[in-house]
Amino acid sequence: MHRERDKDRDDNLRRKVDVYHLAENLEDCLQCGKCVGACPVASLSPSYNSRQIVSDVLNGQQERWLKSEEIWRCFLCSGCYAACPVDINFPNLMMQLRYMAVEHKYGLKYVIPFKRFALAALQDGLTFVPAGPKGRDRIRKIRTDIGLSPWPEVSEKAREEYRALFDLSGAGAFMETINEEDDKPVELQYTEGRVTFADKTGH
Amino acid sequence: MQTKRVINPGERIPRVPEAVFLFRSCTGSLEYPGTESAVKETLKFLGVEAVTDPDQTCCSGFLQACSAYKPEFCLAVTARNLAIAEKKGLDTYTFCNGCYTGLSEFSHTLLSHQDQRAAANELIGRWGYRYEGRTAVYHVQEMWYRLKERIAEGVVRPLKGLRVAAHYGCHYLSAQYGILDDAGYPTFHEELFEALGATPVFYKERQLCCGYSVGRGFTHKEAIVQPHLHKKIKSAAVAGVQLMTTVCPGCNVALDREQPNLNRLYGEEFHIPVIDLAQLIALALGVPASKLGFAANTTSLDHVLKKLNCDKGS
Repeated sequence: MHRERDKDRDDNLRRKVDVYHLAENLEDCLQCGKCVGACPVASLSPSYNSRQIVSDVLNGQQERWLKSEEIWRCFLCSGCYAACPVDINFPNLMMQLRYMAVEHKYGLKYVIPFKRFALAALQDGLTFVPAGPKGRDRIRKIRTDIGLSPWPEVSEKAREEYRALFDLSGAGAFMETINEEDDKPVELQYTEGRVTFADKTGH
Repeated sequence: MQTKRVINPGERIPRVPEAVFLFRSCTGSLEYPGTESAVKETLKFLGVEAVTDPDQTCCSGFLQACSAYKPEFCLAVTARNLAIAEKKGLDTYTFCNGCYTGLSEFSHTLLSHQDQRAAANELIGRWGYRYEGRTAVYHVQEMWYRLKERIAEGVVRPLKGLRVAAHYGCHYLSAQYGILDDAGYPTFHEELFEALGATPVFYKERQLCCGYSVGRGFTHKEAIVQPHLHKKIKSAAVAGVQLMTTVCPGCNVALDREQPNLNRLYGEEFHIPVIDLAQLIALALGVPASKLGFAANTTSLDHVLKKLNCDKGS
């Protein structure tokens, strides 16, 4: 078990995380903690603390949240953003923290359940179509009964172009990097007041 | 970019359009087809033509929020879908908070970052699409509130004595700027309930999210999602809520389909049907219940329909 050391800090971390320029005012953070008070997840799991995560990103300390299970608990509900006196879009920061974690192969198990849906969406041009014929028939029946077309109209052209964009935009290549066997374990490590790690070679 | 937080409906929709591009929602057309039907019926009543297009695809926002897609794909998909609306010269109206936030956030990124727009346009240009930002993105709830008086005049089945509670969901109010109400304490749904003759109920955990926005109950279900939902539904039950409305089919899935699980896990007897706001409006406007697809609901609202004397499909 070890603690993060000062020499592990990366002063440029804030920019490395905010690849898409969605949380550019992060340095305005007052560390007031209103976001924590507004957070439905923090009320159930106090070790998930948005104020501390912002502080860690600004301080250049990435190991603790990258390896933490907590970053996967956020609902992206934006309650924190509504409460923030300086308008930091924390959900947009969280989204990018998760991309970085995935890049380092942490928390893949929280993305894998959606791989199946993403691949199915390519066939239908719609997300969350039931996999089995029974579920599809149920939808057809309800839609027909209320006077809608039996199935939402999605043209073959739409589905083909959607599939092509998936490959052209790099989404297909990204999906291939998410595999169960590469997943590095994450645990509840963000305990109050002290961040510790089980071993230092997990990286 | 809009710099004012809350704006009045007349400023948001200065002129009520004759036609809109209605953006199909996957969940609102598959899980709860009654939502799609109710939105179309209500628009018809208001004299607004709903134009759809089979070339439109899923907005892809949900799986992006689950980290399954990177933004590049969604930016291109958004540009493509909105280019279809632009070509028709129409504004885009969604009936799902997720589609709303996906389209508005991604279009904002496309319009404020020239390099991202160029990249997306290059991807979709091969099929002749081009996105320039000429279609504005709205949620149909904004239209309902804009035309609240006209809806109130059209009520033929007043929802007298029905105790209705609102679930606003996160991803309309999370826009923070240029929207119809304050994310801290919105009331515009309750105003609509009153216009329909119903009794709005303010319950303690009204502002709590549905818990499905990420993970959809596939991750962290026992640890976070179910305790969170229990807190919400419990406070609605304590306040005597008879019916709850949503403006996001995704929220509807969480609040409706999880109730039997909560009852089993926590020994509760929750039975609060959850429907779309458009379904409630359509009911009050006299659209027959048989056209509103309530068969899709897990928590049945037969007793509510009986109370309103429309249980025979009328």
